[in-house]
Amino acid sequence: MGANAQTSVPTFTAGEILTAANMNISARTGIPVFADTTARDAAFGGTGEKTLAEGQFCFLEDSNSTLFYDGASWQAVASASGLTLISATTIGSAVSTVTVSNAFSATYDNYKIMITGGAGSTASRFQMILGATTTNYAITILYNSYNNTASGLGGSAQSAWFNIGSISTDTLQLNIDLQNPYLTENTFLGGWYAEGPATGFINGAGIVSGILNNTTSYTDFTVSPGSGTITGGTIRVYGYQNS
Amino acid sequence: MATYKIQIDDLVRNATAKETAAIEARNAEIEAQAEAQAAKAAAKQAVLDKLGLTADEAAALFG
Repeated sequence: MGANAQTSVPTFTAGEILTAANMNISARTGIPVFADTTARDAAFGGTGEKTLAEGQFCFLEDSNSTLFYDGASWQAVASASGLTLISATTIGSAVSTVTVSNAFSATYDNYKIMITGGAGSTASRFQMILGATTTNYAITILYNSYNNTASGLGGSAQSAWFNIGSISTDTLQLNIDLQNPYLTENTFLGGWYAEGPATGFINGAGIVSGILNNTTSYTDFTVSPGSGTITGGTIRVYGYQNS
Repeated sequence: MATYKIQIDDLVRNATAKETAAIEARNAEIEAQAEAQAAKAAAKQAVLDKLGLTADEAAALFG
């Protein structure tokens, strides 16, 4: 049993004389609020202070986060959400490629990547590579124009995943899921593609899917327009909770 | 040679010669794909023209 483990939840009666031990039950209960981790770590274990032990919670003002102590280190309280935002990268001005580092890790097997806002210098489509790999990408896009003409594009053994998102002079659009980019397994891609009103490529929308046929573990990815440059907008990476 | 700007996380800088070559190679690959697709579409249209069918009529006929 830990130093702070309780064996009862007492109720005091009217007129009862409360001892220091009684008062400490109240003083040590509840979630203490600290400015940051430095203030928190200084608040336990000293003379007249509570012993830090398994089960202790805290709230940190600087990160607005609630954590608990597992006996060895502080851990984030599990979120109820199935998706966790890993990074948000603002695209610079007139760039030809954007690399997002440390997007993938052992924490998650599967990821969602979205690009919203911003604009392209010309109508184009997004392409993506993982790490520095420029071989063995396969991709297919099945699409329908907005005036109902169906078509498709596809290729295997390519140098990138081509045509996975839309770039127009009024907006950027990319919405894909990646399975296994960090694992030493094939990486699979799936998502949807929808052009903005000013695109003029296929004037339509569709679904994209593909595979990177190797078993390399990746932490980074790079997106770029098929032609021209992109400006503004945000690349967000989310991790799907494994459990 | 064109100058490209690349971004790594929040840092934007000019592409090196090697990075420029990689960007242009991939752009050329995309252009080739687009040309191949256009040629395929033109060939399809030529057949439809020869048969005197619209794309919708061909779709209704062949599924």
